[in-house]
Amino acid sequence: MKPSTWKYILGEAGRGIKKNTLMSVAAVTTVTLSLLTLALVLLLVFNFNHLAGTLESQMQVVAYLDDNLPAPRVAELDAQIKAIEGVSEVAYVTKAEALERLKAEFGVDSDILAAVEDMNPLRDSFEIAAADPEQISAIAGQVAELAGVAEVNYGQEILELLLSLTSVIRYGGAALLVAFILATVMIIANAIRMTVVARRREVAIMKLVGATDALIRWPFLLEGVLLGLAGAVVTAALVWAGYSWVVGAMQRSLPFVPIVAEWQPILLVLALLIVGGVVIGAVGSTISIRRFLRV
Amino acid sequence: MIHIKHVSKIYYPRRVVALQDINVRIRPGEFVFLVGASGAGKSTFLKLLYREELPSEGQLLIGGKDVARLRQRDVPYLRRRIGIIFQDFKLLPDRTVFENVAFALRVTEASPKEIRRRVPTVLEMVGLAEKERHYPSQLSGGEQQRVGLARALVNRPPLILADEPTGNLDPQTSLEIMALLEQINRMGATVVMATHASNIVDMFRKRVIALDRGRIVRDQERGVYSNEAKHLEVHPG
Ligand SMILES: Nc1ncnc2c1ncn2[C@@H]1O[C@H](COP(=O)(O)OP(=O)(O)OP(=O)(O)O)[C@@H](O)[C@H]1O
Ligand SMILES: [Mg+2]
Repeated sequence: MKPSTWKYILGEAGRGIKKNTLMSVAAVTTVTLSLLTLALVLLLVFNFNHLAGTLESQMQVVAYLDDNLPAPRVAELDAQIKAIEGVSEVAYVTKAEALERLKAEFGVDSDILAAVEDMNPLRDSFEIAAADPEQISAIAGQVAELAGVAEVNYGQEILELLLSLTSVIRYGGAALLVAFILATVMIIANAIRMTVVARRREVAIMKLVGATDALIRWPFLLEGVLLGLAGAVVTAALVWAGYSWVVGAMQRSLPFVPIVAEWQPILLVLALLIVGGVVIGAVGSTISIRRFLRV
Repeated sequence: MIHIKHVSKIYYPRRVVALQDINVRIRPGEFVFLVGASGAGKSTFLKLLYREELPSEGQLLIGGKDVARLRQRDVPYLRRRIGIIFQDFKLLPDRTVFENVAFALRVTEASPKEIRRRVPTVLEMVGLAEKERHYPSQLSGGEQQRVGLARALVNRPPLILADEPTGNLDPQTSLEIMALLEQINRMGATVVMATHASNIVDMFRKRVIALDRGRIVRDQERGVYSNEAKHLEVHPG
């Protein structure tokens, strides 16, 4: 079709949107709500994955030793651990040193620490760094086998918690998203149905003067797409503003929490929102065109 | 121009026989009145021609082409060669006179330049040049029908179909519309007009095809509305 025809089609779509102002506003609002859900889920998943990755790279194996292990055995253990493949650094931390660290973290005059001072409940340990975070669990397994090692810890609980949270967000978010998107598609379909019904007469006349089916359908399709796009643009603006604020606030008050602040993943989310809005709008209007526009 | 051979039309599901064994030939440039009582099948006759309905039997040729055999996607191109006028005008109430007429050009993807050139010309022809910015509700019935006529004419179709175009108009205004139709006919268009307006049929003395319960009961050159004399007494000229 010619550019002038596209201009005409666009004008007709705009006319449909204006005529049913209330329905159009409802459609844009629901598109915005479901796309916000999409954005929220995506950003949370991104951040949890990012957090898991960061934690993983910072992780080390801590091997707590049996009480009162003789010094030669400690030295032997040191050598055995260093011999394990993938181990890059090994540091011996006595229970006295561990207590000092705790004190430093909690503040010197902590009452609790004062109470345990005499009977230090901590244990001597080896802190083992891995050359590759992937090998952490393998190293932890081998260290646990060594005689004199009481317990091995490498933050697996936190990591597992994080991973299970991520999957809850993924699946819960996906379910919520599907429900929202279905509702949105129905609302768009309804908005287009109203336009189609309002324009029965017009469509009949278009056919009489020789309009092709394509020319009759396009304005309705475009109307749905424009509603979806409008919702997507609103969402994108909200997400952009909201997320920048969150990033700023986090970096100020919780600087050690790694938050995704690179622009690529955020732009990806914004692009997905636009595509999502257009697709939702197109699907919604296609449903009504098929059902109510008998051309 | 039009060749109708043994055409019947039955409306389902109630099997209403609207037309039965119709045989008509209309030559290019003719002006034909289609008359008959209400329900005789006049509108159905026209609908078959612009392919709003398909014949149940028989063959219907326009310009040598079998209308019933036309592919669905070719129907718009048939319609662009037919100007159709209705009793209720069928204008778009939320568009100006200009837009209502331009509408028929837009669907053919005419260029904006062409639209700007042709719409005023045809509005001039029907005498509505000054009212192109008006909305249909701001016009009299006669003016609205002239917009309908302008829309039918703007694509310069060789065939004009009119279904009771003067049905809603007073006698004076009806004559104005008739004068325009006759003018278009003189310019070469074939005109087929269904009507109840006996005075008009009797005044213009064109070919008259009379339908009665779906059958052609009379086909007369320079005919009158009815052969029954008493009718002429009721409607003197
Ligand atoms: N879509 C339809 N479905 C079923 N029956 C129809 C349909 N259209 C018309 N008919 C019937 O077909 C017959 C012819 O109708 P048509 O409209 O052609 O008559 P007409 O001569 O135009 O009448 P009028 O002068 O009242 O306009 C009538 O009996 C009518 O009830
Ligand atoms: Mg009729």
